[in-house]
Amino acid sequence: MKLPAFNALIGGGLIGGLVIAAGMGALWTPYDPLKLSFREKLAAPSAAHWLGTDEFGRDVLSRLMAGAATSVWISLLTVALAVIFGTLIGLFSGYVRGWVDRVIMAFNDALLAFPGILLALGLLAVVGANKYGIIVALGIAYTPSVARIVRGTVLSLREKEFIAASRVMGNSEAFTMARHILPNCIAPLTVLATSMFGYVLLAESSLSFLGLGVPPPAPTWGNMLAGARPYLGQAMWLGIFPGLCISLTLLGINLLGDAVRDRLDPRMRGLR
Amino acid sequence: MLRFALTRIVMAIPTLLIVAVSVFVLIRLIPGDPASLMLGDLATPASIADLRARLGLDQSLFTQFGIWFGNLLKGDLGISINSQEPILPLILSRFWVSAQIVLVAVFFASLVAVPAGVIAAWRQDSILDLGLVGAATLLLSIPTFWLGLLLLLFFGLKLEWLPVVGYVSIGDDPWRGIIYLIMPILTLFLHEIGVILRMARASTLEVLRLDYITHARAKGLSEGAVLWRHAFKNAFGPTWTLIGLVLGNLLGGIAVVETVFTIPGLGRLLVDSIFARDYPVIQGCMLFVAFCYVLVNLVIDLCYPIFDPRVTAQ
Amino acid sequence: MNRLSAHLIGAAVAATLAGPALAQSLTVSVAADVRSINPGVNRDDNTDDFVLQMVEGLVGYDEGGTPGPLLSEKIDVSSDGKTYTFALRKGVKFHNGAPLTSADVVWSWNRYMDPKTDWRCLTEFDGRNGLKVEAVEAPDANTVTMKLNAPNALFLDALARTDCAMAGVIHKDSVKADGSFDKPIGTGPFKMGEWKRNEYFTMSAFEGYASPKTDGKIDGYLGSKRPLVKDVKFLIVRDPATVKAGLLSGAIDMGGILNSDVDELRKAANLTVQVGTNAVRHGLLIQTRDPLLKNVKLRQAIAAAIDYDELVSAASADLAKPNNSPLYPGSSYFGDVEKQGFKYDPAQAKKLLQESGYKGETITILANKRPTAVSFPQAVVAQSMLQAIGIKVEIEVLEWATQLDRYNKGNYQMQAFSFSSRFDPALGFEQFSGNKDKQPRKIWEEPQALALIDKAMVVADKAERQKLFDELHKRYIAEVPMIFTFNGVEPYAMSKRVKGFEAWQSKQRMWEVTLAN
Repeated sequence: MKLPAFNALIGGGLIGGLVIAAGMGALWTPYDPLKLSFREKLAAPSAAHWLGTDEFGRDVLSRLMAGAATSVWISLLTVALAVIFGTLIGLFSGYVRGWVDRVIMAFNDALLAFPGILLALGLLAVVGANKYGIIVALGIAYTPSVARIVRGTVLSLREKEFIAASRVMGNSEAFTMARHILPNCIAPLTVLATSMFGYVLLAESSLSFLGLGVPPPAPTWGNMLAGARPYLGQAMWLGIFPGLCISLTLLGINLLGDAVRDRLDPRMRGLR
Repeated sequence: MLRFALTRIVMAIPTLLIVAVSVFVLIRLIPGDPASLMLGDLATPASIADLRARLGLDQSLFTQFGIWFGNLLKGDLGISINSQEPILPLILSRFWVSAQIVLVAVFFASLVAVPAGVIAAWRQDSILDLGLVGAATLLLSIPTFWLGLLLLLFFGLKLEWLPVVGYVSIGDDPWRGIIYLIMPILTLFLHEIGVILRMARASTLEVLRLDYITHARAKGLSEGAVLWRHAFKNAFGPTWTLIGLVLGNLLGGIAVVETVFTIPGLGRLLVDSIFARDYPVIQGCMLFVAFCYVLVNLVIDLCYPIFDPRVTAQ
Repeated sequence: MNRLSAHLIGAAVAATLAGPALAQSLTVSVAADVRSINPGVNRDDNTDDFVLQMVEGLVGYDEGGTPGPLLSEKIDVSSDGKTYTFALRKGVKFHNGAPLTSADVVWSWNRYMDPKTDWRCLTEFDGRNGLKVEAVEAPDANTVTMKLNAPNALFLDALARTDCAMAGVIHKDSVKADGSFDKPIGTGPFKMGEWKRNEYFTMSAFEGYASPKTDGKIDGYLGSKRPLVKDVKFLIVRDPATVKAGLLSGAIDMGGILNSDVDELRKAANLTVQVGTNAVRHGLLIQTRDPLLKNVKLRQAIAAAIDYDELVSAASADLAKPNNSPLYPGSSYFGDVEKQGFKYDPAQAKKLLQESGYKGETITILANKRPTAVSFPQAVVAQSMLQAIGIKVEIEVLEWATQLDRYNKGNYQMQAFSFSSRFDPALGFEQFSGNKDKQPRKIWEEPQALALIDKAMVVADKAERQKLFDELHKRYIAEVPMIFTFNGVEPYAMSKRVKGFEAWQSKQRMWEVTLAN
């Protein structure tokens, strides 16, 4: 029982909803997401506050909407940074091989072996503890995984007939890379990028839990989720809603990612 | 094969050197000072200066590195600023604790997630696929500090099956030791299922599209045989690489689970040392983690040809 | 009645006849491991707390923070104020059974004053900070004399300081033959047990303990200090959510909890909750050399813009009351003048802001998110209140070590910070006042205020000191070098079986605590 495009449809729907919510959150929210109201703190969901209020009496729905824009923006930029630099490094390293490859991979592995928390701490101190600090820190932390995967793909493709054929036909190395090798990296990269998108949404909350608060000018889902933890017993909704937002976003991105990959993967063309 | 292994080990030396130097520099760039952290806000500038001198922190960065590196070559990682303990035994004992959790969790997660991923790929776009991907995504998107707490409240407080706090070393009391490790392992296991399932599914999807699968199908092999003999075996290669990455990352990232379940592991040691700016411990931990990482990936690469005949070790 | 319970009752009767029955082990959660067991050397508050249950000094703080005799019985000060004569209390024994003599006191003191020991408070007594103990002698087995370079009102206070481990008297056998520290053999109510790093540390009742009093009344580090539980196990649990689960399940008998958990745990059937206070002072630091904030009018506007009742109730989960004074309310110097804090007056704040010439510049407040710290909520609430009168405020969340570094370097505009306990008001003022050229971390550097503080350090007369502190308080309110908001609250939850615990100054004192079976 095949349901063609059904998954893609769900994924598209979820991401569409997210984009609308984020767009709307940037323009209008039911309440001011930063406005404190001590009399209404930790209020359960009600007609006035659909998703309840947090420990400072701030409206959770408004914060989720405002947070959507920030969270998506941070995740997108981080993933883009990691994918672009990682792909360039991986392609180059995998294609040239030899000692250049070895040097690059030595650095790459060194970076991979760094726990994210130390890297984040160091880079946040250098870049400044703000939104862009976290993007740069996490972007650099995820770059080596991309580089490694791309390099692996390049290595496994190098000896294939069609690459050899391209060379025999007199195509330049750069052309061969762009025309034949890069498209083959898209599939594993889509998978990695969609996972990374999720990691970034969550990385922020894990850092926050360990005492390394990532300072939000505006609320983000990640730090809403981390901040809700002490109130698990008294105000379940504080954690459930941001958690649900993250889950659904991830699901949407995964499903849509699959669909996009199927369209882009050269081997898939004309197969279905 | 042997030559490959040796080359890789030699190749790892520059990586470790890079880690050693960059950790040394990076942690000293980060604001914060172990002496003033130890003495707190009551300390006088004179006593901070005294302590810095005693810890050797008043010397130039170059001298400090020289001393540390010289001792490192002799196999001495120094002693902790905070606890005055020798670092190597400290790291080894903490590592053993973390490794138990990580290895067991990842092993079981792979046992469940790899077949599930293959099945999801085989039945791509079906309700089953959607269900598996949905479950994996859900597991992936619950942070471990939430998941751990939920398990703690459910198994520890509600059902009273498992102890809520404490830790007993398996070496001291095997049975009780295992009991204390169940929840941390379960937390990590559930989380890693999400990670590995998605990767296994993606790798299998790749393979299922390749020509030889079409060939195999055309030859009239049953779907089950195609799946097992060709798809599964070939999909395992990339998944195997990923498991290597997962293992390497987890050693650094297990701190959260150790915090929730009061486990004295390596992750927590590293995080505590970072917060206390215990420079020699951070350096030792990082070097050790990097070493493990290199080792794990070497083993993974050595095993790779077994799963993927197309790659020859060289 | 079956035979088993008859046996039990028999055993209980026998135990009662033999003396107070020591119940079994008490498990207490702590948020961090101790740094060492070497008194006053490698320490933090948590370490002091553990060590000072095993080790005692000549003098210690009473409940109100005034130093009083602990291992001594009587303290005489010579008429020139330079010689202190301590008569030792009789019948005191070390954990190894040896009786306490003046020779032990002199030996301990000389060990602390040896730079090799790395005693944290060496600089307090070797003259580098003014006070110098020139000679310590033992005229007879029960008397110790200490000679100072000059009279000093704060000498006994310095001796009693917990971060100096009270200059605790230990037996020679605490130190190994090679001079390295082994374990504390003190005179305290508990003996050192086992220390498993990063898991737990334990102590057990010292049956030969000679309590200063035996009336059951707890009084700081003095008073009745009988050990009434057999063993105490301090279990290291870092995650407050895990502490909560442990308390509810009964795996932990007692532990510090988050302010926000008080309401929830009060409802638990098996637990009681106790909220203690301490002399920790929370507040908002202001960099008075900042180009913007050196403007007194702007600082006054900030002080008037904050609704202290709401800020404190939000930051402490309704547990604390505002206190703008640098003195803590438990101090005997805390009088009517000190009760007069900043006035919350938004209209006045707006007026002051206009007069200050503020033109919409952004002010950054630094904060940290340690689970037990109130830094972050204070910053959030202050941000919202300052924005309400038109000041643009941003919060920068830092990890604690980084924030402390910025504090030490004076590199900030404002930060939500907490000062650790200081009992004496002169030291309390000194903590944040001084010349920034010499010590960049100091906040208040108004010369007249500094002169008043220096005077309060030397003057011994209480009425005269009170006048100095009143004057200092008024100046601080007028100049707003920083804003103190409230004092520390420390909620504990404990099993209903635990009796006799009194929360005090972040110390989990285990003497006089009992555990019902």
